[in-house]
Amino acid sequence: MLKFYIALYTAKIVRIMLKILGRKASFFPGRVAITICKDFLGKVDKPKQIIGVTGTNGKTTVCNLIIDALKQNNYKVLDNSFGSNIDAGIAASFIAGVNIINKTKYDITVLEIDERSSPKIFPYVKPTYLICTNLFRDSIRRNAHPEFILNILNKNLPEQTKLILNADDLISSSLGSTNEKIYFAIDKLDTDKEQCDNIINDVRICPKCHSLLKYNYVRYHHIGNAYCPNCGFKSPKPNYEVTKIDYKNNNITVSISTKGTKLISKYRLISNSIFNIYNMIAVISLLSELGIDIEKIQNFFEKEKIIESRYNKEEVDGIKIISHMAKGQNPIACSCVFDYIRNEKGKKEIILLLFDLFDSKESSENITWLYDCDFKFLNSDDIDKVIIGGPRAEDFYLRLLLANVPKEKLAFTEEIDNTINYLSLDKSKDIYILFELYDEEIAKNLRRKIEIKIKEKEGGVS
Amino acid sequence: MLKIEVLFPEICNLFGNPFNVKYLKNSVKDVEVINTQLTDTPKFLSEKVDMIYMSPMTESSQELVIEKLKPYKENIKKLVQEGQLFLIIGNALEVFGKYIENEDGTKIDGLGITNLYAKRDMMHRFNSLFLGKIEDIKIVGFKSQFAMSYGDNSNNYVFDVIKGNGINKESKYEGIRINNFIGTYVLGPLLILNPYFTKYILKIMGVENVKLQYEKEAIECYEKRLKEFENADTKYD
Repeated sequence: MLKFYIALYTAKIVRIMLKILGRKASFFPGRVAITICKDFLGKVDKPKQIIGVTGTNGKTTVCNLIIDALKQNNYKVLDNSFGSNIDAGIAASFIAGVNIINKTKYDITVLEIDERSSPKIFPYVKPTYLICTNLFRDSIRRNAHPEFILNILNKNLPEQTKLILNADDLISSSLGSTNEKIYFAIDKLDTDKEQCDNIINDVRICPKCHSLLKYNYVRYHHIGNAYCPNCGFKSPKPNYEVTKIDYKNNNITVSISTKGTKLISKYRLISNSIFNIYNMIAVISLLSELGIDIEKIQNFFEKEKIIESRYNKEEVDGIKIISHMAKGQNPIACSCVFDYIRNEKGKKEIILLLFDLFDSKESSENITWLYDCDFKFLNSDDIDKVIIGGPRAEDFYLRLLLANVPKEKLAFTEEIDNTINYLSLDKSKDIYILFELYDEEIAKNLRRKIEIKIKEKEGGVS
Repeated sequence: MLKIEVLFPEICNLFGNPFNVKYLKNSVKDVEVINTQLTDTPKFLSEKVDMIYMSPMTESSQELVIEKLKPYKENIKKLVQEGQLFLIIGNALEVFGKYIENEDGTKIDGLGITNLYAKRDMMHRFNSLFLGKIEDIKIVGFKSQFAMSYGDNSNNYVFDVIKGNGINKESKYEGIRINNFIGTYVLGPLLILNPYFTKYILKIMGVENVKLQYEKEAIECYEKRLKEFENADTKYD
């Protein structure tokens, strides 16, 4: 135990020093603690209830919603939103949560858990509930394929953890063969398709008998409702199901099935995107499982807002500029953003800044993901121009040509600032800037320059 | 009319590889693509096809593919001897080897068409750029894999390694080639990235003097990438 206390006190001192220096506390104290005491995560005192959130997309949003909801309902909540979602980040939050005799000050903790870090976390931190939002293809280099991530989670999952899973995702819903499970889903929508129109669908065959699956409906990629005509395997039945999305009245209807009874309730819609509706139903499932009254959950959504850090919209002299983060190296995330943009109303011009900033400095970016990504969605009548900037501009240009986007709609340049020269700055056309996570500053600078150019143009005219 | 048989596209479809076949189809007139699923009988058993193509897959899919092709092992061997063109990408080449070994020492028997065997290391993914050569054609590409292959391929490899690794970290020979059986760990849109290699492959199928889809743009990308890959400062891992 001596090693543990040395680790704890050193980490606490590091934490205070970082604060004095005006630095963010981050995961660093946690890294220090784990370096000194390998099983620090096991020994540090933890709140009685542990909520884990993992999955490819939506982790942060789901965590933030749960934290806000629990705080509103007077829980003392510890979370790792200041640090990171790897073992050191989680250790850092527990360090912040205990006093000097290693007693936690909190009732409950909500932890965002990186899927790949779970082997370092689950042996010591055993969630009461674990939400897995979904599992998709992500970066080829880090995540390989979703089955790999599923296997990592499965190998390390504590037996006693109750799982809250997405019934519309046949990869993540198969998690935990012996764990108790609760499922959420969104019922068939008018916009669902009979056949997948994405390049990637990672669930095409039955996991039991390997025959081709049939989909009752496909939403995007492998998200939907499927069955096997050969052996009868089918998507799990949800306990929590969104049965209606009413965009006009801004609410969703949820059917909760418990012990043979069905309870219908309505919640204010906090975002129009289908991804956030999945996030909402995951949160409703958890809060309800924790025993929080439906009325209280409804009240929470009445006032809650989603912080759209990845999205910014403004209007300069009548021209709308919309910046949208799209994780580069992630074909699913980019396909979803492309799909979203093509369905937005009005004529548009798009600037793509989706290159990997780090790779372009020292190496040459692996561009295989471009051929997993649905660039065909940018071949749309309302999209007048696609301007590609950055060191991989030619690769994107070729990929867009191969997606049958007409040559005259395309422009490419290595110089980011040069992309502006291809914009029409016509008031009838909205400008979209799609940027990679690490290109955020570059995108911000570009937006500022576009604003200046619009204003100059306006000034020149008047 | 060219016939390309794509084996098991419902599970062998990782990392943008299916686009290679699309590129061939769009570049050459009259290409028939036959998509053979796990529940189908492979076409190559009953009729002549010009190319048999397989993309990388998950580890569990490798086992399904081995099981599926096992009964046709002798047919495949005969086709390889007769010079049938196979283009087998990424870990699909491990299916045709002697065996695949897991970290715990357990082995999955392969089809035994090649003399290589593979070893998995699931917690250490190997990512690298690749610069190689076939005849006088330089090849640029990417590797991203859990397993490496071992065995002597010094007389039957696909690409000479200029920079990067061959079939394993010590190897200077990339891939396995038996007549026109071509298996390589260089994955992704290999044919789009390497227009001259695409013409080399088409030549094996008897197609010459072809203008590839957006050939000019593809060559520009290839030349830019080649310059980057040949730059001594470019990091490979």
